[in-house]
Amino acid sequence: MTNWQGRPPAPDCTLVARMANADERALGELYDRHGRPVYALALAIVRERADAEEVVADAFGQAWRTAGQFDPSRGSVGAWLATITRTRALDLVRARGRRARALERVSRVDADAVATLGAAADAPDRGVEREEARGLVARSLADLPDAQRRVIELAYFGGLSQTEIAAELREPLGTVKTRMRAGMEKLRGSLAQLLSEGAA
Amino acid sequence: MTDHQWSELAAPYALGALTPDERTGFEAHLAECATCRAEVQTLRDVTGLLVHAAQDATPSPALRERVMREARKASSIGPRSARAPVLPWLAAAACLGLALGAAYGYLHERSARTVALRALAAAEDTITARDSLVATLLSPDVGSAALAATGKPPSARLYWSPSRHRVVMAVYDLAPAPAGRIYQLWAIARGKPVSLGIFNTSANGRLTAALNVPAGLTFEVTAVTEEPAGGSPQPTQQPFLIGKVARGD
Repeated sequence: MTNWQGRPPAPDCTLVARMANADERALGELYDRHGRPVYALALAIVRERADAEEVVADAFGQAWRTAGQFDPSRGSVGAWLATITRTRALDLVRARGRRARALERVSRVDADAVATLGAAADAPDRGVEREEARGLVARSLADLPDAQRRVIELAYFGGLSQTEIAAELREPLGTVKTRMRAGMEKLRGSLAQLLSEGAA
Repeated sequence: MTDHQWSELAAPYALGALTPDERTGFEAHLAECATCRAEVQTLRDVTGLLVHAAQDATPSPALRERVMREARKASSIGPRSARAPVLPWLAAAACLGLALGAAYGYLHERSARTVALRALAAAEDTITARDSLVATLLSPDVGSAALAATGKPPSARLYWSPSRHRVVMAVYDLAPAPAGRIYQLWAIARGKPVSLGIFNTSANGRLTAALNVPAGLTFEVTAVTEEPAGGSPQPTQQPFLIGKVARGD
């Protein structure tokens, strides 16, 4: 893929290396690539737009300060940013005693994402690759049995431990464990295509 | 606990759904079990993709400016840290595909951190890194040369940014020059050697250094000779390391 200048865009990890060298333009580029999905993640966890923006600003601030510690062998830049954002969002939810909110329906299998899969080219502000990833992740989650999807969502978006999920759902702990494992196994299979691409 | 029981913790670990006690126990196990580490790695990749499961949402345009503002604020507070100049060099090297060793394979947070810090400490001993190294390595026009002595050690790798008039050189397995002697790096421009500077390796045989290139000088070949301390205007012996430059842009 090339940008309008006809040069291939810098890989994410090059941007992070430039950030470690205090290059603000690299931070801007990283935000332009990842700001939107990271914001959507923060919003899914904290549920308030103002809080989500605070989380994203903090997360990019942390990425800026710790860019020198990013290790490309451990995963993609996108996964690194998502981990920082999720941790900060869950911290904020806990700090505000709003855990109960996490127990609401924390995410929705995004039917729109599946529907727009073929129309990715019509969404120039998002990026085709992200639309493809969204579509495949949405379909993979939709293909899971509801009970398996629910425990994975409660853990990922709600920050609940297996024990807490069991208490919340009034299910035996063993059942929750089995569902979580089985669900993750299925996701690993159905997302294999994205995983082998390096999950850029 | 049997191996089978341990592996059952990989999925909830990757999702952050273990209790603190379970997590501590599992991390201790991970430090010793490559199978579980590999399992956690692939499941973490799955977790990483769950970011795409969040309902799409558009942040306000002001958020970008806020992100930039907070970064500027963080930069103005003071030096980023004493270690900062080295780490970006490592990150840049990894981006360029240079092997950093399998030491980074450890997966859980603390081991990864410990290993990374150990690798860093080792790197600090062997690399005299400066921010300018990164700038040079990341220049769009950077060219590189592998300098070798007929396929056996010592060897060196050189990166040259014509726009920045800098070369960055990494030398391996070269014993320090004898007393009263020094190594000298030459650019061969149209058959004529031009000195780029003198250097010496540390006791472990390694060196990373940035050297200035005279403005306007272009060259196709670089070479290293051993010279009297202080260096020579022209090489006094045959080079023992030599390499051809592959240009960037």
